[in-house]
Amino acid sequence: MSHPKLASIFNKDEKRVNWHDKALWFVRHKRDLSVHQVKGWETLRNLGHGIKAHTLSNLDNYLIQFEDNALKNGVQVHWAANGDEHNKIVHRILKENNAKKVVKSKSMLTEECHLNPFLEADDIEVIDTDLGERIVQLAKEPPSHIVLPAIHKNKHEVDELFQEHLGTEPCNGDPQYLTHEARKHLREKFIEADAAITGVNFAIAETGGVVVCTNEGNADMGAHLAPVHIACMGVEKIIPKQDHLGVFLRLLARSATGQPITTYSSHFKKPRKGTKMHIVIVDNGRSEQLSRPDFRASLHCIRCGACMNTCPIYRRSGGHSYDATIPGPIGSILSPGKDLKKHSTLPFASTLCGSCSDVCPVKIDIHTQLYKWRQIITKETKQPFVKKKSMAIMGNVFSKPSQFERVGKIARWSLRHLPKSIINSKPNAWGKARDLPKGPKQSFDQWYNQRQDKNE
Amino acid sequence: MGSRAKILEKIKANKPDALALPNLDLNAFDEGLNLEKEFIKKIEVVGGNVYPITSNTEALLKIKALFPNTKVNYSTLENTSEFNTVTLNDIKKPQELEDLDILVLESKLAVAENGAVWIEDSKIPLRVLPFITKHLVLVIDEKSIVPYMHQAYQKIEDFHFGVFISGPSKTADIEQSLVIGAHGALSLTVLLKK
Repeated sequence: MSHPKLASIFNKDEKRVNWHDKALWFVRHKRDLSVHQVKGWETLRNLGHGIKAHTLSNLDNYLIQFEDNALKNGVQVHWAANGDEHNKIVHRILKENNAKKVVKSKSMLTEECHLNPFLEADDIEVIDTDLGERIVQLAKEPPSHIVLPAIHKNKHEVDELFQEHLGTEPCNGDPQYLTHEARKHLREKFIEADAAITGVNFAIAETGGVVVCTNEGNADMGAHLAPVHIACMGVEKIIPKQDHLGVFLRLLARSATGQPITTYSSHFKKPRKGTKMHIVIVDNGRSEQLSRPDFRASLHCIRCGACMNTCPIYRRSGGHSYDATIPGPIGSILSPGKDLKKHSTLPFASTLCGSCSDVCPVKIDIHTQLYKWRQIITKETKQPFVKKKSMAIMGNVFSKPSQFERVGKIARWSLRHLPKSIINSKPNAWGKARDLPKGPKQSFDQWYNQRQDKNE
Repeated sequence: MGSRAKILEKIKANKPDALALPNLDLNAFDEGLNLEKEFIKKIEVVGGNVYPITSNTEALLKIKALFPNTKVNYSTLENTSEFNTVTLNDIKKPQELEDLDILVLESKLAVAENGAVWIEDSKIPLRVLPFITKHLVLVIDEKSIVPYMHQAYQKIEDFHFGVFISGPSKTADIEQSLVIGAHGALSLTVLLKK
């Protein structure tokens, strides 16, 4: 389904939309308060951008260096060209270790590859251990946000889910009680787990180590208890040096939630005694995106979610309306590179206001890329008849000033005099959920000239 | 051709022309922080508590005052062996530490700007300890505080596993309500040595 269709489903519940909008704006606000305290924030962003751009321009060599060092550290390294190969590799590792129970911390990559259903089909239990991810897993839904996976659910829904699946008492949605019950439930899962899967926030070429950031401590509880740790990463997670973590860890949490740093920033280098550690490096379309000069900067993304929290469209249409693993503005420039047809409405889910680019910690020109995808999509995919025709007419009107003036006059008059039934009729998409303003008597041009005359 | 070669070949063909690696000029960030004050402030922001101490003996007295009824205790501080109720040598699987009430660790590196404390596994007998314990106490000398993450990485040497810990574990995954105590420690106490 297209973004507008899915968004209109979300929009049916106005109260929920308003609540969702406010909840995310609150997070955006916390981000502002936090970054304004950092001296040299813009320098940090430039550094983040520059380090990522440099890394991409030498990515093959950095990957080789990373692999070399990881192997020296006693870590096993695997390469997967696509999601299917990634799933098969993880499955094989689990089989080799007789693992039937797996705990997994947050990894958008494994979501992208649909790892859970693949493993579950072979009777392997996979438990998502991030609280938000566990909530959506119990609800049999995908995450709707990359940092706040269950942001679309209210506490009463979580209360009901936990009653049904974890046998909790009704608590009128008390977050303290629900979180405590989740801790008990997941503690058992950590203790029993045969293997732990984590994502990777940063992979350091110079050391062969990986860094995983969480607030809950779930990645560590998994990885330090289970005898096998599998870390899954996209090729773009590489950074050249350990020193660069100083830049990225300062940027990440502040941009994500306004925290100065996540509670845990765990640096895995060598497996602990008597256990195994595997790293799976995944391409799945990333090398293709690298080939597109206009869009390759989308691979700088460090998955903070700031562009989602600030986006007026995301806040009012919900993460699920994007029907993609990564929703929001960044998802809308990543997804068309994977499947242009399926995701052809996403770059249009934006006002091009540019707020996403302003908050991006690694300065991805998100709104410019959204615009550029629109140019490609309009050429390469079938556009609705009405849109095509109206665009042609508008193009014509805008290109001739005298005609533009005439049409403007008619439009202003119509807005003042025609009945609502005509103005808000079906072809006018702008009139769907709002009243249009009364047309002014003067055009901007007339007003401006009059003002100039007066001033002279 | 295997996937490794295929991926690397494709990346080589598709990558842009070489771009220079930017230099890190740390002067851009320096604001002359009062390290101790900033560190204490940030620990409190992230949900931890800070108390001043002057010696390990005082540290233990403070801990006993803060947590009077803990059953399973473990400390890696020097001369605190009478505090420990578990012998980690007897532990065969990290899972056996599930009931650890309180863990006391010493760190040689902390960061003012975010209250993060660096712990590496050469200093702890089992990696899971700072996560599985109910209450975590970190002892830091005030001279170990650096202003920003950049300076912290300049000090970090080789390690097998290391973690920056800033505050107790937490989550806001239910309706954005902050709850302290997710999967890791339920509380974090920093004892700052003068």
